[in-house]
Amino acid sequence: MLIYTVKRFFEMVIVFFLFLVISYLLFNAIPGNAFSSLLLNPLLPPEAYQKTIEAFGLDKPLYERVQLYIINFFKGDFGYSYTYYPRTPIDLIAERLPRTLMLFSIVNVIAFYTGFLVGKILAWRRGSKSETWITIGSVFSYTVFYPWFALMMLWFFGYKMDWFPLGKFLVPEKWYDSPYTSDEIFYTLILFVTVSSFLLFLVFIFTRNIESLQNRRNVRFLGLLSLFALAAMYWSNGEAALKRFYAADIAFHMILPTFTVTLVAFAGTALLTRTTMMEVLKDDYILTARAKGLSQKRIRDRHAARTALLPVVTSFIFTIITIIDGSVLTESIFSWPGMGQLILEAVVQEDIPLAMASFSFIGILALIAHFIADISYAFLDPRIRIKAEN
Amino acid sequence: MSQKLLEVTNLSMHYDTLDGNVDAVKNVSFTVNSGESFGLVGESGCGKTSVAMTLLQLQPDNSVITEGSIKLEGKELIGLSENDLRKVRWDSISIVFQGAMNAWNPVIKIGEQIREAMREHYPQNSKQENINKINELFKMVGLDESISERFPHELSGGMKQRAVIALALSCDPKIIIADEPTTALDVVIQDQILNEIKKVQNLLGLSLIYISHDIAVIAEMTDKIAVMYAGSIVEIGPTQSVFESPKHSYTRALLDSTPSIRGEKKKLRSLDGEPPSLINEIQGCSFSPRCPSPSSGCKNQSVEMGLIQIGEEHFVDKCCSECV
Repeated sequence: MLIYTVKRFFEMVIVFFLFLVISYLLFNAIPGNAFSSLLLNPLLPPEAYQKTIEAFGLDKPLYERVQLYIINFFKGDFGYSYTYYPRTPIDLIAERLPRTLMLFSIVNVIAFYTGFLVGKILAWRRGSKSETWITIGSVFSYTVFYPWFALMMLWFFGYKMDWFPLGKFLVPEKWYDSPYTSDEIFYTLILFVTVSSFLLFLVFIFTRNIESLQNRRNVRFLGLLSLFALAAMYWSNGEAALKRFYAADIAFHMILPTFTVTLVAFAGTALLTRTTMMEVLKDDYILTARAKGLSQKRIRDRHAARTALLPVVTSFIFTIITIIDGSVLTESIFSWPGMGQLILEAVVQEDIPLAMASFSFIGILALIAHFIADISYAFLDPRIRIKAEN
Repeated sequence: MSQKLLEVTNLSMHYDTLDGNVDAVKNVSFTVNSGESFGLVGESGCGKTSVAMTLLQLQPDNSVITEGSIKLEGKELIGLSENDLRKVRWDSISIVFQGAMNAWNPVIKIGEQIREAMREHYPQNSKQENINKINELFKMVGLDESISERFPHELSGGMKQRAVIALALSCDPKIIIADEPTTALDVVIQDQILNEIKKVQNLLGLSLIYISHDIAVIAEMTDKIAVMYAGSIVEIGPTQSVFESPKHSYTRALLDSTPSIRGEKKKLRSLDGEPPSLINEIQGCSFSPRCPSPSSGCKNQSVEMGLIQIGEEHFVDKCCSECV
């Protein structure tokens, strides 16, 4: 097992090295460079362009630059962003990443939860009219051309109905005399969401051993109520009361993107759940559960859906890996200033240090995820373990 | 001594399929008294399991009960609402399914799966009371208490089957339906399980409906027996009387196909042909095409099927009562 892990780790390092070199070469294959646009300005003397290029080392031959970049990379020096000079890529990523993670974590949790609920009910009502129509709707939303759909949502809810803002993170007019930066407010929001979901989780964990169903439902309801009370108390006292106004502005801007992505993302989960659950419903233990005289709801939720949950959880884990690269489209359409927009900007502007840093970040995430998956598979399945050791 | 517990009269049921109606149960009547074991025997596909499922009203969605009644202590079960049926299921009639291997939900612990049924039928019980009762039941069927905390895949086939019996007993049913409970087990375990069922039945004074294709097992387990062929009961009577003087040629064929330990050595006989497809309506006696000694009325299929009495509580299909 240890040998396998070490072997896998070295493989990972080699793959990452190749990843770095190939990405760097690919970015250089784009015609021109980050400062080509300077040449378009007739008022700028050609020497200025030459000087800028030399300052950033873009005049050096390609192999030298690759070498330098990779050596610096492993020293932990990622250079400076060309477009956001003098900010460093790390600084920019640290600013943008929480925004993307916050938006898409919420989206994914909602999408998987509702998708699972809908899929479960679809399988249970197999053959009914509502099942047919909702399934057709889900297939539509699963296969729809996403950018078009997002634009339509933006047009309808943002422009036609004017219910939601047309993208962006906040309304600048409201923030002129703000004593806080948007990041400070955003971190408060993140903390709030994290703590409240953790408390919610605790409520469910601690009540799951209550024997009587009626009591369990009541206790959970009380728990939810007290959580709401706590949240209300938090936002109406002390510093949080001052932040409330600004936090609401950011939260308001999150609604439409969340809703749109959820609508698209939930369909896949719903269809997956529906298929798995229909398989499960044929199993003998469902008949046992019915023979035991359990209620329909309990058979559906406890016996059928519980088993159908496993593939859904697997797909959830793999979705988390693709959050960042998946965010490019959404963030461009909704002008959400997160990682997706940063990456797009960096590539379009040929901001190589920034683009490289962002892509390596995604690459490292993907590699680690696969590494963990491989190791845990080997751990769970003895057959893989033996094969791996030989 | 005994009173009628379950009374099935003229039960007919068919499955609605794309190829047509499959008449799985035709005009079946029998009664089970309290404390009695009743055996239902017949080859695969003769409708035994369909009868069992209908007793609990658990038949698949495409089945249609065309006529008949099932009365449990005088209360009609056919046509009851789902909610009323839930109260009957497990509380009055419980069932041990064909494949005990798959009767357990793989992701829930055994104890919890039993407690869940008890919660449904005894909502007033505390968790500890339920646990105590499960431990008692486990002891009765020869299982260790620690099984409660195990997942189904951690048990052997025999253990799972014992646990299923404990599960069937958990809500003090009046009748247990055992639908080929030992088919998937090897002979040694099979014998142990049969003894377990018998012991428990005597101990708790339950009625038992034992369904099997194995006439030897049925002989050992039951007081009364019904032989089914192609959806109908062709012979019904006290086990002893049916075994000593089988009247229907199908019953005789079944008996002749099983070796006996005592008595002279006989060549085992098997029946030619195969059971009729239940999709087509059968004229006259359904067994006549395979009957080794059909009567003339039987052959031209002019005799309608129906039971007539030939001995004390011993009934046989009209057709065969004539040919012997």
